[in-house]
Amino acid sequence: MEDYVIEAEGLTKVYQMGAVQVHALGGVSFKIKRGEVVAIMGPSGSGKSTLMNLIGCLDTPTRGQYHLNGRLVSEMNDDELAFARNVEIGFVFQTFNLLSRLSAQKNVELPLVYAGTPPVERARRAAEALAAVGLSERARHRPAELSGGQRQRVAIARALVTRPSLLLADEPTGNLDTATGQDILRLFDDLHAAGNTIILVTHEPDVARHARRVVTLRDGRILSDGRP
Amino acid sequence: MADRRMTYADVVRLAAASLIENPLRSFLTLTGIAMGVAAVIFVVSAIDGLNAYVARTLGDLKPDTFVVDKFGIIKGHREWIRARRRNPDLTWDDVAALRRQSPLAGRVAAARYDDATLKAGAQTLSDVTLRAVSAEMFEVESYNLQRGRVFLPSEAEHAARVCVLGLDVAEALFARLEPVGREVAVRGRSFQVVGVGEKKGSLFGQSQDNYILIPIATYEKMRGTHGSLSIAVRAADPGRREAAMDEARAILRARHHLKPDEDDDFGIITSDALMELWRDLTGMIFRIALFVVGISLVVGGIVIMNIMLLTVVERTREIGVRKALGARYRDIVFQFLAESVMLCAAGGLIGVVLGMGGVALARWLTPLPARIPLWAPLLSIAVTSAVGVFFGLHPARQAGRMDPIEALRSETV
Repeated sequence: MEDYVIEAEGLTKVYQMGAVQVHALGGVSFKIKRGEVVAIMGPSGSGKSTLMNLIGCLDTPTRGQYHLNGRLVSEMNDDELAFARNVEIGFVFQTFNLLSRLSAQKNVELPLVYAGTPPVERARRAAEALAAVGLSERARHRPAELSGGQRQRVAIARALVTRPSLLLADEPTGNLDTATGQDILRLFDDLHAAGNTIILVTHEPDVARHARRVVTLRDGRILSDGRP
Repeated sequence: MADRRMTYADVVRLAAASLIENPLRSFLTLTGIAMGVAAVIFVVSAIDGLNAYVARTLGDLKPDTFVVDKFGIIKGHREWIRARRRNPDLTWDDVAALRRQSPLAGRVAAARYDDATLKAGAQTLSDVTLRAVSAEMFEVESYNLQRGRVFLPSEAEHAARVCVLGLDVAEALFARLEPVGREVAVRGRSFQVVGVGEKKGSLFGQSQDNYILIPIATYEKMRGTHGSLSIAVRAADPGRREAAMDEARAILRARHHLKPDEDDDFGIITSDALMELWRDLTGMIFRIALFVVGISLVVGGIVIMNIMLLTVVERTREIGVRKALGARYRDIVFQFLAESVMLCAAGGLIGVVLGMGGVALARWLTPLPARIPLWAPLLSIAVTSAVGVFFGLHPARQAGRMDPIEALRSETV
């Protein structure tokens, strides 16, 4: 039996915009194996963001079943979703989304705070995660004192610190210059090599090339799914 | 899943950090609460101090004694007019009747009050309270002397020119000289000082040590017997003061030929009644103060709610990030609730400190023995914390209910 991190079956999302129903996703099915790197591509309005929100347990589908690491996410309530996000998902955002008031170390500790990890272990694991992205020396700096690439590394450390079953990166290089973007993508390559399952949501073919598999969306449906 | 929980320390640390981040805003927000609490601490302490003080001062009137007076405790102008027209002067015949007919009255003393100007050597002192008392008075009321003695029954009986001075009078007339044995002139007649009273302090800004005590027989020899006597009675049995009062009332009513349906035409004063009158008065001040503080707490609470609503909007993105990282509704609500409670409690704490400062200042500047009852600061912190919960709940729930997707999309960081 194959070890799937994600099993999505007929995911449908319908938004009610006043009197109009908008079909953001119209029955999307796919599976992602543990250790895979998958790029999700598609123009804006293709349902890419909606799919990412569903995969990231930020939202539940109108119809369809979504299993994450064997758990049925599509029928979870808000608290269970929060728990799934905390335990199963590591988010990496385009705009980093670090809390400006906190040091790099404290930012990385944040998911462990909500996991109820004791403070001493929190500090140790956050330090490990920062070391893994090569930022041990910057642990005490605040985001404003870091470069864009360093900020994204902190964000990646924060995503990794709970040892999630899935790293979900939304345009991770979108706010970075090309060279820095390449550094970050090489970091994702390393993380892949270390056995992490990664989903890169992007519209840049350069980014997608780092994946072995590309899922392309158009008008809420899968247009293609395979090697780039 | 059940054991997944932020620790209280985390919640407090988080709230404290964001309050410290905005020191000016935090300070302005809690000022209203602080002022309200400072005011109530001050008023409560002042009243408590006054109560203690009045109780101590009224302590002259022992619990087993009462005073029969032409007027009694008058609580209004109309009552006073009526009493003045209707009530007869109390006379030596009344005193004699009580002494003769009331077995429950152990000691019956009589007193007259007047103002006097005293002279000793080159010193003149006016507006001294002159208390002319019968010798029994020393057995009815508590006179503690700093030096010397009270006058003897024989001196009182023979209208001897002896006197006991209040401490202020003794100091004003004789400074550091020994007053006992010296002479004081009252209305041109010389009195020998036999004793000086202990310090009693002041009441309502009036010194209680500004008096001269002389035998009532001596006074009546100089001034005659017109005007009402004040009769002080000490119950024979300390436990039966009420019975003694009833007996005295019956005797006087009979002597004054009052019908059963007529009111007393004299008043009976006890230390309890005086204390009660006083408590009525301060109780009203206290209630008004509480009302004012209540209003200031509500206003302070609304200010805090406003600021918290603003904070929640400002930190929409932060809330989104926290939710994405696994914060539940409850975690977010607690975070913002902790902030508003800490703001309010800090306001309460600052208010307590300000109030204590005010009380210390009052003690230093005035003779008021203001003291802070222990419950006042504790209650203040508890009440302000409750204000924080009450007015913080709505903003906190708004934060907790935010949709993480919308919040993450928000422009504010």
